[in-house]
Amino acid sequence: MNDCEQRHILRATALTKVFGEGESQVRAVDGVDLQVCPGEMLLIMGPSGSGKTTLLTMLGGLLRPTSGTIEVDGVDITALKESRLTPVRRKSVGFIFQSFNLWESLSVQENVELALNMAGVGGRAASGRARTLLEQQGLGRRLQFSSRNLSGGEKQRVSIARALANEPRLLLADEPTANLDSKHGREVMHLLRDLSRSGDRAVIAVSHDQRIREVADRVLWLEDGRIKDIGQLVRDPVCGASVEMDNAIKLEHEGRTYYFCSRGCSWEFQQSPERFKAGAATSSVTA
Amino acid sequence: MTVPLARRNLFAEKGRFAISVAGVAFAVLLILIVLALYRGFNRTGQTFRDLPGELWVVQRGTSDPFHSISLVERERLDPVASMPGVQAVVPVLARSMNFDAGGTEVSARLMALDVPADVVSDELRERYLPPEGAVIIDDTLRRKTGLTTGDTAQFGTESLKIERVRPRSPEVLFQFVFVNFADARRIFGVGDVVMYGMVILEPGADAQTVAGAITDRDPALQVYTKEAFAASIAKEMDETFLPVISILVAIGFIVGAAVVGLTIYTATIERTREFGVMKAVGGSGGYLYRIVLSQAAILTGAGFVVGAVGAWGVARLAIEAVPEFATEFQLTDLAGVFVAAILMAVLASFMPVRRINSIDPAIVFRA
Ligand SMILES: Nc1ncnc2c1ncn2[C@@H]1O[C@H](COP(=O)(O)OP(=O)(O)OP(=O)(O)O)[C@@H](O)[C@H]1O
Ligand SMILES: [Mg+2]
Repeated sequence: MNDCEQRHILRATALTKVFGEGESQVRAVDGVDLQVCPGEMLLIMGPSGSGKTTLLTMLGGLLRPTSGTIEVDGVDITALKESRLTPVRRKSVGFIFQSFNLWESLSVQENVELALNMAGVGGRAASGRARTLLEQQGLGRRLQFSSRNLSGGEKQRVSIARALANEPRLLLADEPTANLDSKHGREVMHLLRDLSRSGDRAVIAVSHDQRIREVADRVLWLEDGRIKDIGQLVRDPVCGASVEMDNAIKLEHEGRTYYFCSRGCSWEFQQSPERFKAGAATSSVTA
Repeated sequence: MTVPLARRNLFAEKGRFAISVAGVAFAVLLILIVLALYRGFNRTGQTFRDLPGELWVVQRGTSDPFHSISLVERERLDPVASMPGVQAVVPVLARSMNFDAGGTEVSARLMALDVPADVVSDELRERYLPPEGAVIIDDTLRRKTGLTTGDTAQFGTESLKIERVRPRSPEVLFQFVFVNFADARRIFGVGDVVMYGMVILEPGADAQTVAGAITDRDPALQVYTKEAFAASIAKEMDETFLPVISILVAIGFIVGAAVVGLTIYTATIERTREFGVMKAVGGSGGYLYRIVLSQAAILTGAGFVVGAVGAWGVARLAIEAVPEFATEFQLTDLAGVFVAAILMAVLASFMPVRRINSIDPAIVFRA
């Protein structure tokens, strides 16, 4: 940790975002402290509406925090003017989205090339680099394809190649697997993990997806905008949801305790325990 | 070479692109045709520039050859002939007149020149001086009336034969019919009064000096240079047509700008998210504006080319159907419309650019 203190890629301090005023005020993110180091893959989880996307949007310099500070790649971006923020987003951050967000009128290769063009790289240099990145993603045969006609998994790999175009040190991914089937979702998660391992990079991913947990170095649980040190997070063997051990519905079966998100799930378990027994798991979650 | 995003975005909707280009082309065509027609009509009076006389002597107070009447006794012109710098004075009879062209009444401008024998040339005879009993018409009048060489037509009391058809002249409103001077005297019944004296100068003589001398000597006369005489017609036309033309051109411009604006605006709205992604991944404002401006420029450029070619084609076809459809395309007009098209593109980009400004890049993380 001390080592990371010196070399962190991202540091957020007392980060807070308040939407609206008065009655309808929402503290979407509330006093989050966060530090990410090179080689790390951080997973942010939490219930819907807990502020995950809002947090990620601020970390990427797309949304100004109400208070607190953000430092990306050694630059304090909290108070930067939009015109100074743009180059930071271009060079230091790569974005990966749930709905891919490709430029649909462009070919696969052009999608990556355009990101390079924006950073002032053009011509052969841009097309060469775009090709290399896409080949690394196994899309060498799809370069001239219209990006509109790709499968979901292919689209996400194009968007990863695009995010990597300008060699950012920080990759931010919001629900990168939500629109993919489990096979392609896993593929993408392993890809992200490998990316965090190789090079001087870190990945922050937001997900509901239990499958992702296994690849993360660290899982951060967000609830009502705050990071919760819940110690133990357990998996509902029926529906697969993550539940806090303290709040979960407990059931003893053959000497083992199982945890459920709802009565419905525990009832279903009781009907045929053999079907679900293997799905239970626990893991620790810390800030 | 960078990714041609503007072109890709436009061509992604080929049908809409084609319709939009057609819309701009239509606007450009309208503007160009109106301007060309104006230029064409503005050449009314060209006959006065083509005739050999440098000066036109008229009755004082005559404003122009088409709308006011000039009556000059012939003997007033005699002294002019012997003035320094004057080679000859040609008495001219002219008036507009309806005549019977095989059942239809047609209006034309009859003109007869009494050219002194020592200045008559074959060329003059060919163009302006028919023998007695004959007239020379131009091709526009031939097409309007169906009269052609060898036919006869009734001018007042006289039945005259078409001697020759001159090539199309730029006279759009009234075509000139050149009549033999003796016939004209009978038709007009004016005795020794003529309308104008057309003065042919000696080589090297100064037109202004001669004109001054003529009016000094006879204050009942007024003198126009041929340029001023022809321009007096154009001035009249300008006063009538310019306001109308300005409105038509303005409408064309607005239509063009609206088509481009609407197209680029909808294309921008449709791709709000994609523009948002560009902002998010570090596209600067300037970069995005350039995309919008390039889209507008491509659209207007294509529309301009199609419109210009179309205008030329329409003019070609129209003159076949309507003999008076006299158009003249001037390079300055084309350049002017090009500049207007650029302005159109810039204006049309205004709304889309505002729209782009208002896109919040944070939307990219919202599903
Ligand atoms: N632009 C906004 N204006 C007002 N409220 C907002 C805005 N964006 C988010 N919120 C609110 O902030 C809270 C957190 O939203 P956020 O999208 O960050 O949650 P999330 O954890 O990403 O949820 P999900 O898992 O469903 O994607 C929600 O209550 C949401 O309604
Ligand atoms: Mg979210």
